[in-house]
Amino acid sequence: MRRPGLHARVTFAFAAGALAISAAMALLSYTLTAQTLLSGRERNSVRAAYFDATVAQAGLATDHPDVMEVLRTLDTGTSRRVAVRRDGEWYARSADSVARFIPKDLLDMVMAGQPAGQRVMTDAGPAYVVGVPLSPSTGFFVVDSLQQLDDTLGVLSLVLTLVAAGTTAAGAAVGWFTTRRALRPLGSVTRAAREIASGRLEARLDPTAEPDLAELTSSFNGMVDQLAVRLERDRRFAADVSHELRSPLQTLSAAASVLERRRAHLDERTATAVNLVSQELARFTDLVTDLLELARADQPVDLEQVDVAELARRTCEDRTLPAELVTVAPGTNTVRTADRRRLARVLANLLDNAERHGGGVVAVRLGGTAGSLLIDVEDEGPGVAPHDRTIIFDRFVRGRAAHARGDGDGTGLGLALAAQHVSAHGGWISVVDRPGGGARFRIELPGVG
Amino acid sequence: MVHEPLVVGLALGHDAPMATVMVIEDDDRIRLSLLLALEDEGYAVTGVATAEEGLIRQRRQPVDTVLVDLMLPGLDGFDCIRELRRHDDVPIVVVSARADTHDIVAALEAGADDYLVKPVAVKELTARLRALRRRIRTSAAVPSLVFGDLEIRPQAGEVRRRGELVRLTRTEFHLLCELAEHPGIVLSRQQLLSRVWKYDFGDERLVDVHVGRLRHKIEDDPANPTRLVTVRGIGYKLQR
Repeated sequence: MRRPGLHARVTFAFAAGALAISAAMALLSYTLTAQTLLSGRERNSVRAAYFDATVAQAGLATDHPDVMEVLRTLDTGTSRRVAVRRDGEWYARSADSVARFIPKDLLDMVMAGQPAGQRVMTDAGPAYVVGVPLSPSTGFFVVDSLQQLDDTLGVLSLVLTLVAAGTTAAGAAVGWFTTRRALRPLGSVTRAAREIASGRLEARLDPTAEPDLAELTSSFNGMVDQLAVRLERDRRFAADVSHELRSPLQTLSAAASVLERRRAHLDERTATAVNLVSQELARFTDLVTDLLELARADQPVDLEQVDVAELARRTCEDRTLPAELVTVAPGTNTVRTADRRRLARVLANLLDNAERHGGGVVAVRLGGTAGSLLIDVEDEGPGVAPHDRTIIFDRFVRGRAAHARGDGDGTGLGLALAAQHVSAHGGWISVVDRPGGGARFRIELPGVG
Repeated sequence: MVHEPLVVGLALGHDAPMATVMVIEDDDRIRLSLLLALEDEGYAVTGVATAEEGLIRQRRQPVDTVLVDLMLPGLDGFDCIRELRRHDDVPIVVVSARADTHDIVAALEAGADDYLVKPVAVKELTARLRALRRRIRTSAAVPSLVFGDLEIRPQAGEVRRRGELVRLTRTEFHLLCELAEHPGIVLSRQQLLSRVWKYDFGDERLVDVHVGRLRHKIEDDPANPTRLVTVRGIGYKLQR
């Protein structure tokens, strides 16, 4: 799983912090409030219970008291229900059957003479039971409903929860905006880096824009300066090498052609020597040209719309091969975005290879799916053994000539160059099986053209 | 610095005027080898080692074609081409060790007709020289072709815009005529390379840069051409 970015992490941290603080505060507030309200309520309950107990006591002080009558005289309101236990019997107002809510322990305690209070759950919600002993045989009980308080506390907890949630969201928002503002200077670093990567080495950061990032700015600018110097040096070296190799070859080539012209006037020995010079010079020139091109192959491609089928036909014709060798599978879009020069070189290399090692090109097929374009160059020669199929694309690997030809072997760089050019297009080149024998070199160019 | 005296080349035995070539190349050995080889091929060749000398020579005794290297001491090849072009339409072929697109396009934009990368085989060089010398074969029976304010007269070798003579190099003229003789028809870059430069399989940059140069000379707004238009993916056409 990808690690979330800096922005996300900071925002999350802010949100988590806000959540922790607001949750703690909410919890604390709730607990304290609930505690306070509850104990206050209980105190009130006890006070009221004692008041009623006193009234009941007075009413029961006669010889033959009517307990029910005494109970009826009490003013208990709607939230309080009273009951009396006297001589083992429960007395309560008709609708208030509360005896079952009075816990046994509390009952025993009160009947033993000890006043007590306890929170219980009743059919009407939470309540506080107070028991006041009136005499060894009489106990006065009040079941005071806490429902209202409970409701209030419920609202309080809801409000606190919402506030906590709101605070968390606000914290996240604050975190998000803060990081955005803090990261904005890095946006300019990103842009500068991107410009440099695409070759525009003049991009530098402005040190006055963000004084806090002064160190980053100056080291970044320093790095780019170094890079530019290094690249310039490399470029100059490559140009120098190219010049130093090409110049003597020009002289040799022109001078050799002068010698060649006069071959008829030379004795046999000299003529042979001139032959050797000419041939090797031609080979050497090809080698140097290929090597220099290989060295430059990492330059960016020069892209344009190319009709690959047309290019293939022209390349064939340029080698006095019939254009009919090129066939296109129906429905194939042969127009692609490519570097025409490089692609032409690749096709030329493959055609030359087929001529030199495969006994001649038999087909150039274009086809492919909606995405990639496939170009197959086929011959009916000895083919390429499976274990050789990767190494032939290495440098200086040469195959055997299909039959002795005057121009001799190739430079060994043709396929290496082809591979480099094809991969510069994001494609790949390989040797695949050909039914019926022979070699099939396949280029695959990706993309939708 | 010694430069070779003007060498009178081999007599060809007929009345055709011998083609004259000037080679502007600072490397002594390259210059000498090219002189020898081109003379063998029947050209009357002059060699100079600096652009300054070349410019002086061309003014005094103009040649049919100039071969110029780009990396010269003093005035470089690019400036040499530009300077030549201020007064001269002589065909200019660049022969240089520099192979980057940037250099090729810059040399062509400066006014060169063709660009060859060293080492160039003598056969190739002479083929290029022949291609540049050829007269334009025109099949048009009409003496003039009109495209709005542009009047092209292939036989007379003239182009006029709003009556004013337009100075074009031989190649630019040839290219314009080729397009004019097929009005409204799109010619691909390979077709143009074949007909104008006589390349079987040439470098499209030659056509692209020359079209750009033509547009600067015949269009009101070269950046938005209305006569010499590009047909994307196919080529160029000249329309009325």
